[in-house]
Amino acid sequence: MNDKTELKERLRLLTVIREEALLRQRDIYPREEKVDTWPNLVVKELIALLIFTIVLVVWALVQDAPLEELANPGLTPREAKAPWYFVGLQELLVYFDPWMAGVVLPTVILVGLALVPYLDPDPIKGVGRYAIGKRKFAAFCFIFGFTMWFVLVVVGQYFRGPGWNFYLPWESLDSPKEVEVALTNFPLAAGIAFLACYYILGLGIPAVTFQNFFWRLGLIRYHITMILLMTMMLVPVKILLRQVFHIRYIVETPWFNI
Amino acid sequence: MLKPLVDDISETTVSRRRVLGGALFWASCGIVVAILGVIGGGVLRFLYPRALYEASKIFKVGSPESYKIGSVNLVTGRGVWIVREQEGFYAILAKCTHLGCQPIWYEDQQVFKCPCHGSRFHKDGVNFAGPAPRPLDRLYLSLASDGRLEVDKGKDVGLDYKLKV
Amino acid sequence: MNIFVQMWRSLFRTGVTDSPVHRVFRVVVNFILHLHPARVSKNGIKITYTFCLGGLSVLFFVMTALTGGLLMIYYTPDVDKAYANMLDLENVIPFGMFLRNLHRFAAHAMVISVSLHMLRVFLTASYKSPREFNWVIGVGLLLMTFLLSFTGYLLPWDQLSYWAVTVGTTMAENTPIVGTKGPFSVLGPEEDMRFILLGGTSIDQPTLIRFYFAHCIGLPGALVGLMALHFWRVRKAGGISRPL
Ligand code: HEM
Ligand code: FES
Repeated sequence: MNDKTELKERLRLLTVIREEALLRQRDIYPREEKVDTWPNLVVKELIALLIFTIVLVVWALVQDAPLEELANPGLTPREAKAPWYFVGLQELLVYFDPWMAGVVLPTVILVGLALVPYLDPDPIKGVGRYAIGKRKFAAFCFIFGFTMWFVLVVVGQYFRGPGWNFYLPWESLDSPKEVEVALTNFPLAAGIAFLACYYILGLGIPAVTFQNFFWRLGLIRYHITMILLMTMMLVPVKILLRQVFHIRYIVETPWFNI
Repeated sequence: MLKPLVDDISETTVSRRRVLGGALFWASCGIVVAILGVIGGGVLRFLYPRALYEASKIFKVGSPESYKIGSVNLVTGRGVWIVREQEGFYAILAKCTHLGCQPIWYEDQQVFKCPCHGSRFHKDGVNFAGPAPRPLDRLYLSLASDGRLEVDKGKDVGLDYKLKV
Repeated sequence: MNIFVQMWRSLFRTGVTDSPVHRVFRVVVNFILHLHPARVSKNGIKITYTFCLGGLSVLFFVMTALTGGLLMIYYTPDVDKAYANMLDLENVIPFGMFLRNLHRFAAHAMVISVSLHMLRVFLTASYKSPREFNWVIGVGLLLMTFLLSFTGYLLPWDQLSYWAVTVGTTMAENTPIVGTKGPFSVLGPEEDMRFILLGGTSIDQPTLIRFYFAHCIGLPGALVGLMALHFWRVRKAGGISRPL
């Protein structure tokens, strides 16, 4: 190995170490104010622990966890609701076929969440404080999705009765509801055209109108971000199509329906 | 002037060592991946037992005469309806094609309704309302040698199938 | 040395003296507290910054683990016994119902606090470099939390569990390609995704055992592993995020 390559090697090592150091302390913080963990943090943790332990113990004393009759494979109960945190997905089942609502959408949600740090092009804006005004687009996407999940949970949990029909919380669940609306499908060509337009326009229009945004994200980030966003928006769009225009499927094929 | 880290060694020795080292490195990587693959495959295979202790998919029900024309009869414990129409018999799997709840037959309205998300099916199993994407599965039905009907739950025969007795 | 002082020292390795050095020492030598750095930034311990949500998630997890461990003493993962065991817990075993309630409600609380923790991490942009990968680990923790709840739901073997899990696992059957009823399916009913979950073609004894294993061993193990990584990463990123 000659001197030059070795010098290069050593410099490379140095940069690696330096970058690592920066990575740890890269937030070249203005000399931050530090306090002792004991007692400042420890006391707060202790208080939180005590409060929530007491709350849960009291809750467990005053309310009992439900238990119904023994499982009976031959008899479906009037209502088969999932635990509340899954009721949002169950609510989606009204609008999408199981492969979409139960498999594709949850996968998209998880993958989308995991990609968040890699899609956000700005490395510093808003770090360390609640400054969503500085990150309007990011905050909008996240809060929209987060809220939608819980709205769906509330609708599914409190506004759905037997047969997954719509009941107001104070309505008796015994009065049968026979809401029979005839649902129609888009013709195949129209449906495919609709979906294609939805995604092409959804990706195209922002790229043209917000060119700064487009170039800041770059080609790959932009497309992944917008495809995820448009897929999230497909949920309210489909709900709207169903509730207002009585559309059952946008695209109907012998193999799958959307 | 930098002090060399290693003593002067001819270029060829170094490059041979490099090549050998590299080859060894990639070979060990390959072996690690292979071992992980074998373990993963083994665990996956482990999850599929060679035999299942489930009720047989083929079972006998009543004799043809015991079903009235126009009736829908649930075979309890088997999750199957035997339907008799003017033209013949067919068996329907009592499992909603939406998410697997067991629909209920309403004699007065002549429909199957699913209690879970409200799917409806005609008597022949065709879905007409609610989220179910397909008609109910129609099962293979035959006449056993002892004169009783025999259902094969493993075979979905399609909507045209009817057993004429 | 006084014998009691000696015992105390051997246990906690610090006396009761208060001085800056002692404060640091106390955190560094304590097994639980050493998860924290000896000194923390002032911003990070403001209640209105983290709302203690990560810490509360840990608390709720520990609660479910402790109560769950006790419940295991009376629970048999057998379709003929499980439901009777639940009735026993309610009527025969002192504090059985209480433990069951606590287990269930701590699980609810954990789902809520983990979700809110994710919200706070997002709103404070704490997923940005160098914490990107810790966010990904967090998504794993979120998934584990949900899966734990889902698998636990079957164990009482009542109507609620049976049909909720029917609905849940039929979705697996509808997975594209690897589910037997999904679009472009290539696998039969005895090979597909649902079969792995159920250990058969219907929800029965093999299913209960599989869910029991996942709920009591597989998923908690994975969760603890991910949690250790999560905390280690928080430390390596130089503590929790603060304004730049
Ligand atoms: C079992 C579930 C979880 C536990 C026990 C947990 C625990 C913690 C704890 C104790 C902290 C320290 C700061 C704080 O208390 O807020 C923390 C920070 C963090 N968590 Fe989690 N967490 C969990 C799930 C998640 C999830 C679902 C995400 C996001 C998808 C996430 C992402 C992060 C990130 C990025 C940090 C660093 C925040 C910062 O530096 O300000 N965690 N977690
Ligand atoms: S399972 Fe029958 S409608 Fe959903």
